[in-house]
Amino acid sequence: MADTILVVVEQREGKLNRASWETITAGQAIAAATGWALEAAVVGGSTASIAAEVAAKKVAKVYAVDSAKLEPYTPDAFAAALKQFLAAKQPKLVVMPHTYQVRDFVPKLATAMGRTVISDCIGFKHEGGKLVFTRQMFQGKLAADVSFTSDAPWFATFQNGAFRGDKAESGASVAPVEIVNVEIADGVIRNKPQEVFKEAKQAVDLTQAEIIVAVGRGIKEQKNIEIAKQLADALGGDLAASRPICDSGWLPMDRQIGSSGQTVAPKLYLALGISGAIQHIVGMKGARTIIAVNKDAEAPIFEIADYAIVGNLFDIVPPLTEEVKKAKAGS
Amino acid sequence: MLIFRKPLEGIERPQMPADVVIVGGGPAGMACALRLAQLVDAHNAAYPENQLSKENIYVLEKAREIGQHCLSGALLDPRAIRELLPDFEKDAPLDAKVTKEAVYFLTEKSKFKFPITPPFLRDHGNYVISLNRFVKWLGGKVEETGITVFTGFAGSELLFDGDRVTGVRTDDKGIDKEGHQKSNFEPGYDLNAKVVILAEGPRGSLTKQLISKFDLAKNANPQTYGVGVKELWEVPAGRIAAGEVIYTMGWPLTTHEYGGAWIYGSKGDGSNNVVSLGFVTGLDYADPRLDPQRVLQEFKRHPFVTKLLEGGKMIRYGAKSMPYGGWWAIPPVAGNGWMILGDSAGFLNSARLKGIHLAIKSGMLAAETAFEALIKDDSSAATLGEFQKKVESSWIKEELWKVRNLHQGFERGMFAGMFHTALQMITGGRGLRNRYPAKAGYENMRKLAELPADGGAEAHLLGPAKGDGKLTFDKLTDLYHSGTKHEEDQPSHLVIRDTNICNTRCVKEFGSPCQNFCPANVYEMVDDASQPNGKRISLNPSNCVHCKTCDIADPYQIITWVPPEGGGGPNYDGM
Repeated sequence: MADTILVVVEQREGKLNRASWETITAGQAIAAATGWALEAAVVGGSTASIAAEVAAKKVAKVYAVDSAKLEPYTPDAFAAALKQFLAAKQPKLVVMPHTYQVRDFVPKLATAMGRTVISDCIGFKHEGGKLVFTRQMFQGKLAADVSFTSDAPWFATFQNGAFRGDKAESGASVAPVEIVNVEIADGVIRNKPQEVFKEAKQAVDLTQAEIIVAVGRGIKEQKNIEIAKQLADALGGDLAASRPICDSGWLPMDRQIGSSGQTVAPKLYLALGISGAIQHIVGMKGARTIIAVNKDAEAPIFEIADYAIVGNLFDIVPPLTEEVKKAKAGS
Repeated sequence: MLIFRKPLEGIERPQMPADVVIVGGGPAGMACALRLAQLVDAHNAAYPENQLSKENIYVLEKAREIGQHCLSGALLDPRAIRELLPDFEKDAPLDAKVTKEAVYFLTEKSKFKFPITPPFLRDHGNYVISLNRFVKWLGGKVEETGITVFTGFAGSELLFDGDRVTGVRTDDKGIDKEGHQKSNFEPGYDLNAKVVILAEGPRGSLTKQLISKFDLAKNANPQTYGVGVKELWEVPAGRIAAGEVIYTMGWPLTTHEYGGAWIYGSKGDGSNNVVSLGFVTGLDYADPRLDPQRVLQEFKRHPFVTKLLEGGKMIRYGAKSMPYGGWWAIPPVAGNGWMILGDSAGFLNSARLKGIHLAIKSGMLAAETAFEALIKDDSSAATLGEFQKKVESSWIKEELWKVRNLHQGFERGMFAGMFHTALQMITGGRGLRNRYPAKAGYENMRKLAELPADGGAEAHLLGPAKGDGKLTFDKLTDLYHSGTKHEEDQPSHLVIRDTNICNTRCVKEFGSPCQNFCPANVYEMVDDASQPNGKRISLNPSNCVHCKTCDIADPYQIITWVPPEGGGGPNYDGM
C-alpha cells in the first residue's frame, strides 16, 4: 500500500477553521514532493457538509469521522476517535493546523499512540528520501530541521500562515467521502466543557472613558476600593488604579494606568490616594481636568492637578459621592 | 505570598548542541566572540581542507537588544580594542578624546584641586564613550561574522556532569506570578556546550552558582564592590568641553565611606553638551540607612556641580555594581569546560575606575583558549587552564598587580587609605605587605542600635532623597528615566531565601537596608498588622535595573539575583 498523508482539518460547531485550507496546501505540497497519497479527515458530530466542502479540493478521499460524542469538542473524545481511526487507517503522516484546539488534543493523541509530534512547523523539505520539517527556535532566531525516527503514523502541525490557504488546489473531480462511525465508550470523556470562554476583549477600554476614578496606595485595603467604586458609579465613570493596587491583585491589570499600564486622556480624572510618581503621571497627564485627593500636601500629583484636595480620602470621598448622587437626582 | 523564579522541574526541554556558549553580550562577551570568529576565519583560510564552523558559537544576551543593559561612565582605554580591531577609530562610536582632566577634593561648600593628577587618573589617549553604543557597535561586528547572538535569552543555570560544566539552560518564558505556565509558555533550552564562557558582568548569577559549587573563592580575598549610580544630562554648551574629565573625592561622603564621582563631558547637538555624571559608593559602608541614589543627589547639590548642571536636563538614569576587590579577589578563571571573563571574574582596575579594556582583553584571551579547545576537541581543565596562564602573563596582571592592595587599604577609612595608596605607589603596589587581607563589604554594615539615631556625620546621606524635580530627583523619578520594563506577570527574580528574616529580624536590627541600597525601588516594607514588627517585605521586581546591589549588600546574604524573563530590564540608550 502506498504511503498516505492525512490532513485533519479543524471544525468547531460545524464551521471549518480557515487555517485548515493552509494545512491542505501543506499536505498537497508534501504529496507532490514525496509522491505519497493525500487524504483528508474531518472529526466531529455532524461533519457531512464540511467533508463535502473539503472534497472539492485535490485530495484522494475525505473521511468524515463521526460520533455524537464528538460534539461538543473535548480533548478526550477527539483523541479517542482519532486514535481508533488512525489505528485502522495507518497513514504515514498526519498533518494538522497548529491551532489552540489541536494543541489541546494532539499531545494526548500522540502519547496514547506512543508517537511524537513535530509541532508548529513553518515548512518541510524532502531530501534524499527523508522528510524533514522546519521549526523555529529562540523566537525565530534559528530554524531547526527536525525529522522523525519513530514508526508511523507521524504527527506534524503547521504554524498559521506557513502556507497559503488560497493556494489549495481544487480537484479535477469531487473526492469521495467516506463516513466513519467511531464508537466512544462511556467513561472515556472525562472533560466537562463549560461555556466557551471569549477572551475578555479588554473588559474596560479605559482609553475611551470620559470619567476615570483612580485609586492608589492611599486606599490602604482592598475592601476600601468599594468607596472609590461608588464614586465612579455615581459619576458614571470607570474605575482605574496605579500599579501597586493592580500589583496586589486588588484590581485587574487592565485597569492599571501608567507607563506599564494604559495611557488615558479622559475629560475628568480623579486621583484618590495616588502620590503621582512619574510612572503613573505619564499615563494620565493628558486628562483635561485632574482632581487629586492626597493626605500629603507635598505629593507630586498636586503639581499637575487642576484641583488639589489635601486630606484623608476616607473623609472626603463618601460625602462627595453623596453630593454627586444628590446633584444627579436633582437634575 | 511571594513566589520566586527558578527553572521548572520535571519538564522536557529542547536540547541543542553547541561548541561555545558565551553568557552575556557586554564588552567581554562580544570581544570574546569577535576574537573567536577572527581565529576561526584565519584557520579556515589557512586550512581549507579542515574547516571549523562558527555556526555553533552562541552569545546569550538577556537584553532585548544588544547593549541595552550596558552602562558605564565611560572612559575607554583603547589598549585592548586596538589589539582586537586595529582600525577601530574609523567606525567605533567614540564621543570625544580626553582633552583635559582634573581631580578635586570636595568639602561641603568648597573644592580643592589636586595640584597634579595622580598617574592612575591620567586619561590622555582615552576616549569618552557611551558603553551602550560601543557594545551595540561591537555586537554588530559579531553578528556580521555569522555568530548568533540570542538577544532576549538569559542563562538561568549551569548544567553539570560531575566536575564538568556541560552547558547552559536558558530562561523559561511564559511563567506567571504564581509559577504556573501561561498560554505562551516556552521552556528554556539546554545548550549543551563544549566550552561555556561566563561574561555576565559583576556578580553574575551563573558565576555565583559556579563559584559556590566548586568553592572557587576559597583562596581568594572576598570580592568587594561599589555601586555606581549614573545620570546623563544635557547642559547648555560651554559648561564643560567634550572630552573634559573630572574626578572628585570627599563630599558628600565622609571619611568613613569609600567612593567618589566622575563627570565626563561629551558631545551634544551644538547648543548643548551631554554630561555623564555618577557617583560610586563603596558597598562596605556602615550605616544601613545610607542610600547610594541619595548620595548622587547630595553630590549634585554641591555648588561646583550645581553650577555645571544649572538649566540642564536629566535625560537618563541607571546603576551598575562594580567589583573593586582587585587581583587578590579574583577566583580561578578557568576549569573543566568553563572560563570567566570581565567583571564576572573581577578584572577591574579600581584605582583607574576602569574595566572595559580588561574585559575586552580577557575576552580575547579566552577566545584564543576556546579556539585551541575546538582544534584539539578537548575542553577539559588541562586545555582551558591555559586561559589562566595567559591572563597571568598578559598586561591584565601587570596592570592589576600594581593596584592589588588598593581597596583593602581603605578598609579603615579615607585617611588610612590615602596613606596606603601613597605607600603602594612607591612600592609597586606592595605597600606594607604583598597581600593585604579584605573582608566582604556587607560585614561592615552595623546594626541601628550601634549607630547614632540622628545619623551623625552621615545624616545627609540617609534615607530617601526628596528631589526638587530640577536638579535632584526622588528615586522613582530617576528610575523612570532608566526606561526599565519587565513582563509584570512573572515570579520574582529577586530570590529571598527566607522572608521571615526580612520581616522579623532585619526590620528591627538594620531597618531594612534593601529599601535604601536598591537604586530602583524594588524593595519596600509595607504595613502588615499580622507581622510582629507591623511590616512585611514587598517586592517590585519590574523596577529592577539589574545592578545586583541587593545580592551584594544584603547583610544576611539571603538575596540572590537571577535573571528575569529574557528581554526585560533597563533601556540604557546612550548610557
